[in-house]
Amino acid sequence: MPEIFGTLIDVFTRTLSGFLEATVITLQLTAVGIILGCLLGLFFALLKLSKAKPLQMIANFYITVIRGTPLIVQIMFLYFGITEFVTLSNYWAGAIALGVHNGAYIAEIFRGAIQGVDKGQTEASFSLGMTKSQTMKRIVFPQALRRSIPPLGNQFIIALKDSSLVYVIGVAELFSLANREAAQSFQPFETYLIVGFYYLVLVMIFTYLLRWYENKLDFDKD
Amino acid sequence: MIKANNIHKSFGDLEVLKGIDLEVQPSEVVVLVGVSGSGKSTLLRCFNFLEMINDGEITIDGTTINHKKDNLSKVRAEVGMVFQHFNLFPHKTVIENIIEAPMQVKKKKKAAAIKHAKELLDKVGLADKADVYPNKLSGGQKQRVAIARSLAMEPKVMLFDEPTSALDPELVTEVLQVMKNLAEEGMTMVVVTHEMRFAREVADRIIMLDEGVIIESADPKTFFENPSNERTKQFIQLVE
Repeated sequence: MPEIFGTLIDVFTRTLSGFLEATVITLQLTAVGIILGCLLGLFFALLKLSKAKPLQMIANFYITVIRGTPLIVQIMFLYFGITEFVTLSNYWAGAIALGVHNGAYIAEIFRGAIQGVDKGQTEASFSLGMTKSQTMKRIVFPQALRRSIPPLGNQFIIALKDSSLVYVIGVAELFSLANREAAQSFQPFETYLIVGFYYLVLVMIFTYLLRWYENKLDFDKD
Repeated sequence: MIKANNIHKSFGDLEVLKGIDLEVQPSEVVVLVGVSGSGKSTLLRCFNFLEMINDGEITIDGTTINHKKDNLSKVRAEVGMVFQHFNLFPHKTVIENIIEAPMQVKKKKKAAAIKHAKELLDKVGLADKADVYPNKLSGGQKQRVAIARSLAMEPKVMLFDEPTSALDPELVTEVLQVMKNLAEEGMTMVVVTHEMRFAREVADRIIMLDEGVIIESADPKTFFENPSNERTKQFIQLVE
């Protein structure tokens, strides 16, 4: 038993600086994925909630296609599939794929949250003379945001873990590096255990931050 | 102040209002009564265009609105509305609820808006609740804040849609008292309510709706003591 701990600590210290660097890449990919995902999500949620049928159809098309195909296919498609039109670096192909992928799920989260705000809220706002855009911005969105934090947090955690899939196009993020390390050192047990631990810690930090933010926005609690 | 001509409103196949004519004079307090489904709440909601009428014409203080595309928010800013379920903004404190529309719609300066809001809170007896969130208030307090919020826009007419129906019995009086004070100050009011004592004491005119038409329109004394319509008589017996 102590031997295992010994080698684990050995591998851990040996890989530490490389893994920390790769963690930065993983976090960057996740951040781009989340930010782009939220922007796309908001945009398509609004399209879906609009009264114009063609706009709804565009949103439905996006959500159906993206949710209906594997992320790994989307990553490969963006990196290798569209080189005739644009060439993206592997880093950006991966980041954009993550953003587009998460956008579809986040669109549904936002749509649900916006629709979940009581109709009486918009009526009260309208009755005070507020315009539609003022009502959305100042009354509906803040309440919808509060409602969307738990599912959004879930999606963020999925995005963080899904960022490992960009290893297929060779971005030097955590999982990529772990693969290489495992193969080179012939220590897959220790390496994958350690990289799993990295993800776990990141997810726990995420969860903590989200809970803190949710509490901060919580106007219903005592 | 409000002029309604031949108002028709349907929801799908259901015709809720079947040609309503009604004129409300400045400073008049009109109470709308009727059994549920008679169309009284719908009529009220038409007056600030939360429902758009299918036919007819509504004029508010000289402005006629026929279509959704007209400048609804401008007219609505002149018409206050108090809802059965208060509809306070839960993410804003009491004072933020009140200053929201004056600042956003009337572009009032924050200091001026707060000053006015505090006067209004004082008026509804909640000066000490300025900085709490709505979920900390009782139903009666919420409704008084909602009234203050409407008044902050300095409306020309106030509409009340069953303002006490969601309240526990012991909280009804405090809301009715605020409404009574408003009426005494000369506010033009249209009130949908089941509170017959309020109607008797405060209304200038009571209007009875039945199946989408006005079947009785009289001062309180005549309404209660000498109604002309058979269904009004039945209604009065039921509620008294």
